[in-house]
Amino acid sequence: MTTEAAEPANAAADVLVTEAESAEPDRATSDVVSVEPDRATLTRRLPRLNLGLDRFSGLYVWTLIILVFGIWLPDTFLTSYNFQIIAGDQAITAMLALGLIIPLAAGVFDLSCAATLGFAVTVVTWLLKEGFNPVLAILITLACGAFIGFVNGLVVVRLNVDSFIGTLGMSSILAAGAYWVTNGEQIVNTFSKSFLDAGSTRLWGVSLPFYYMLLLAAILYVIVDHTPVGRYLYAAGGNPQAARLAGMRVGRVVWGSLITSATLAALTGVILAAKLGSASQDVGPPYLLQAFSAVFLGSTQIKAGRMNVLGTLVAIYLLATGVKGLQLGGSPSYVNSLFNGLALIIAVALAARTYRRK
Amino acid sequence: MVATPVLCVRRLSKTFPGQRALADVDLDVEPGEIRALVGQNGCGKSTLIKALAGFHEPDAGSEVTVAGKPLAFGDPTSADAAGLRFVHQDLGLVAALDAVDNLALGHGYETGRLGLIRWRRERARAREALQELGYEFEISRPVGGLAASERTAVAVARALSRHSTPPRVLVLDEPTANLPAAEADRLFALVRSVRDAGVAVIFVSHHLEEVFGLCDTVTVLRDGRLVTTRPTAGLTESDLVELMIGRRLAQYDVPPAETAHQGDVVLDVRGLATAVLGGLDLSVRAGEVVGFAGITGSGREELALALFGGRPRTGVVTIGDRTVPQLRPDLAVQYGMGLVPAERHANAAFLDADLQENVVVASPAAFARRGLLRRGRERSDVARWLERLNVRPSGTQRAMSTLSGGNQQKVVLARWLRRQPHVLVLDEPTQGVDVGAKAEIHALVDQAAADGAAVVVVSTDHDELARLCGRVLVLAGGRVVAELHHADLHADRITAAAVGHTLRSAS
Ligand SMILES: Nc1ncnc2c1ncn2[C@@H]1O[C@H](COP(=O)(O)OP(=O)(O)OP(=O)(O)O)[C@@H](O)[C@H]1O
Ligand SMILES: [Mg+2]
Repeated sequence: MTTEAAEPANAAADVLVTEAESAEPDRATSDVVSVEPDRATLTRRLPRLNLGLDRFSGLYVWTLIILVFGIWLPDTFLTSYNFQIIAGDQAITAMLALGLIIPLAAGVFDLSCAATLGFAVTVVTWLLKEGFNPVLAILITLACGAFIGFVNGLVVVRLNVDSFIGTLGMSSILAAGAYWVTNGEQIVNTFSKSFLDAGSTRLWGVSLPFYYMLLLAAILYVIVDHTPVGRYLYAAGGNPQAARLAGMRVGRVVWGSLITSATLAALTGVILAAKLGSASQDVGPPYLLQAFSAVFLGSTQIKAGRMNVLGTLVAIYLLATGVKGLQLGGSPSYVNSLFNGLALIIAVALAARTYRRK
Repeated sequence: MVATPVLCVRRLSKTFPGQRALADVDLDVEPGEIRALVGQNGCGKSTLIKALAGFHEPDAGSEVTVAGKPLAFGDPTSADAAGLRFVHQDLGLVAALDAVDNLALGHGYETGRLGLIRWRRERARAREALQELGYEFEISRPVGGLAASERTAVAVARALSRHSTPPRVLVLDEPTANLPAAEADRLFALVRSVRDAGVAVIFVSHHLEEVFGLCDTVTVLRDGRLVTTRPTAGLTESDLVELMIGRRLAQYDVPPAETAHQGDVVLDVRGLATAVLGGLDLSVRAGEVVGFAGITGSGREELALALFGGRPRTGVVTIGDRTVPQLRPDLAVQYGMGLVPAERHANAAFLDADLQENVVVASPAAFARRGLLRRGRERSDVARWLERLNVRPSGTQRAMSTLSGGNQQKVVLARWLRRQPHVLVLDEPTQGVDVGAKAEIHALVDQAAADGAAVVVVSTDHDELARLCGRVLVLAGGRVVAELHHADLHADRITAAAVGHTLRSAS
């Protein structure tokens, strides 16, 4: 590690390292109050028990929920049919949440993702009604999504509008757009059989969207965790100024993240349309809170402190299992919202507490 | 001295998950005393201070009394009520707020009838407090946009401003890390006047000459334990270093062998101008180390970022034969420039990320193959660099936020040294780094130059400039007012040139 040119200084430095770490008693410090044992020994003495109660807490809670409802409602809850339903029902929320991870990791909000989803449902339905080829209709819808993301990026990056405000505005514009496309009425009976099949066929008892979601999750997992892209996202989200001074084009990263989330929201919209078989202007918005809850709750899991793919999936299915159990137990429907809200706040508060203790 | 101590610390311990940062530290400080607190990076100085301030909750069994009354732990308001005042290592200012609001974070706003804030009076008070420290600047600007030393002044003014209780102990954690010598002297004058008013002062610094110049007594920590507390009188600098690191250092700062082989001009700058800098020309050859000195407001603070394109500028900056457009740090990096910026918290550190990510952020794809990261290989490379810079505790997966200030600085240095840039711009490269590590970093900078990098060092530490550079340019009022070469390169000469010119031009 040392170098010829800087020999003397380095030689001194080397000695400094080795000797400072050795346990040699000091000469100069007669009035020392026991300097040894050094840090290494101190560290070793500490207990090292770690069940990962913080970052895997979601998995523990999930298990607990399954146990409780399994004992309470063995006949209805503890059936493969029930789990197949849970898996299929959450596919749309999960896909939307997965797309949302990207801008949130990069430090910007995309509050327009649910509106984009709803808008995409109406657009693809309307295009099919107008007799477009399904593949073309899907591509046009995805392009709409990408364009929405592009405009979001323009507003946030170029016009320097706070992303919270910019995408909130976009979301309102898209609601108007969805109304305009549908004329405020439901569009029905426009789909070919193959299009409908793509949204509702079951494989091993679970409807296809679940597998699309798994595929998307796998792709995003690889991109976020195993390619440099994830690093750009987290760096831009962690400290944009430092990321810029490390040579990153933070504006591009943010812009790209918004385009990605909007495109994925549009894709989710296409799948939702196939699943529903119809379109009305108000299908999108209810997904917003659920998707955000899942990502935030997920950021306390698996890779605690970061928006991440696996954590988000855990969060989604944890909440869905709880809600389903309550429903089967006969709770009134408003309990869903109550459960979702409480779970989010409690989980994030617990995570914040463990951070603070560190 | 048989006065009763105003601050009594007994058996203070603090254990972080997996690490003991403080172990049974005892400390007594008397009113009217200036006490230095010294030790290597990561020895626990800031942890001790944060425990006093109520940020960290110490382990059970720790006791602290202030003026005879026990201090409640983990509660910043009780520390404040007890009369403890702090200037933290990272200052603890709110970047988006202006000086007036930041001062009010300490003492609250003065309100008139109806509970409305008396803005005019608040502003006058803020201005006065800063003037006492010798600073005069636009106090309505967000502090994030102020120079580092101006920000330090805001933090000091906040600590000294009138709170609901009188101050008893003033604690300063490396307040001079970003201060040019002349401004540090003004701060010291103020500290002495505070001391004369009967306040106890605890002063943390890695600049040992400040310890000897300012402090009556010194407490040395090593690896979280108390080594000794002694009067500074009768102690020599090398004695103190020995107490800090546990062994005698014959010579910890050896000047480099004269680098003879200077190559072609790598960095060429024509007419570089910013709000303060007025048309700077500069060329730096491969293997050359050029230093910049100057007081706050001389343009020194803007130089490194302007060169790198991190802030708006005019003029032409070329690396080799390629011109770097302004505001494109990405191109600067791509063309082979590296910047270790001042103020690591704002400009360089990713506190929630681990050390590996902090190091590789400037070349995130260096070890990727077919688009996929190869973390294992990268990790061993990063580990080697952390070792080289003696980052402690090491461990590539540790969160940046759990490192001491000096060790965070070493991680940022590792980020750029590892890339082996053609042009290396260092802005306060050893801010907050202890004496031993500083020598190692200087050796690595020598090495980078010997390997053919053109190096620009901007520093308020004039000893450092004298040690590293073959040529030092002194800035005042945005222009180069002096150029010092080998024979003239002494810290005192640099300081004289930096201050002297300003005095002359002011009169
Ligand atoms: N939040 C934390 N979690 C875990 N370890 C921590 C945390 N904060 C500090 N430490 C560790 O405690 C030790 C003492 O750190 P501290 O910041 O007090 O050092 P310091 O003496 O102020 O050093 P410096 O001169 O570099 O500022 C270090 O080893 C550091 O890594
Ligand atoms: Mg410190």
